[in-house]
Amino acid sequence: MTKEITVEESVPWKKITLEVAERMIAAAQRWASNAGVPCCVTVVDKAGAVVALERMDGCPFPGIATNAAIGKAYTAAQACVSNYLLSKMLDPRYIGEIPGSYYIGLMTQLNCRINLIPGGEPIRDDEMNVIGGVGCGGPSDAVGEISDMTVCQVAISSLYE
Amino acid sequence: MVVSLDMARKMGKAAIKKAQEMNRLCSVAIVDDRGIPIIIYRMDGTSFPTADIAYDKAWTAASFGIPSSDIVKLGDPACPGFGFNTENYNYRLTPIAGGMPVKNGDEVIGGIGVSGTTPKEDVAICQAGIAALSAIVR
Repeated sequence: MTKEITVEESVPWKKITLEVAERMIAAAQRWASNAGVPCCVTVVDKAGAVVALERMDGCPFPGIATNAAIGKAYTAAQACVSNYLLSKMLDPRYIGEIPGSYYIGLMTQLNCRINLIPGGEPIRDDEMNVIGGVGCGGPSDAVGEISDMTVCQVAISSLYE
Repeated sequence: MVVSLDMARKMGKAAIKKAQEMNRLCSVAIVDDRGIPIIIYRMDGTSFPTADIAYDKAWTAASFGIPSSDIVKLGDPACPGFGFNTENYNYRLTPIAGGMPVKNGDEVIGGIGVSGTTPKEDVAICQAGIAALSAIVR
């Protein structure tokens, strides 16, 4: 446990450690509590496995929000794109209209563990390699500019502070 | 009483501190009285399925109000609970040791699960987490 930290490891976002994950979650929670939307935030590593998860007190529909947060972060880490783009692929107006747009089959990929609701973002290092994902569940998309996606973006931008 | 995020965070930190003292790597999950996770922490370098296993153990302990290793007693052919293993309706039920209910008197208010070390050490880390809660609440 108490090993020396080398220069490579000290670059803050080369790897998702528990410390980095907690820093992201703390930033997201600060923002969410200011906005008055209690939520659940999850940070996963590049394998899509949970590194840290925290659910704020008073989070609406806690069971669904927690499960969705894990699923969204997993999906973003596995697909390497924002969940928002994946959800656009499932827009019924596009299905069958554009060649290669039969993305409805995404729904059952990866043992049905993927979640295509917007609110998951991949985390990238300085060379744009995906090193993890962040997912958020709880706030409704209908509350003005406040959405799951915003909370994720706040968490990611906290890496660059 | 319910387990708040603040309390859960303190329990999780105490459990991780205990694991560091024992020089072990583990994942810690704390769930509320409905079996929904409040926090999950995975220490750096811990193998990745442990986060899910810790959640399963915490769910089992919280939902039945007994340590997760005691579930096997319910599946004993000599006992009326035989066939219990087929009731695994959400694939979370586990008989592996390392999940403990969090109690306030007789009332179950949550569960804590630890995975990543040997069963005996998992239970010791769980107890460190529960001890941290009783230090806060008293």
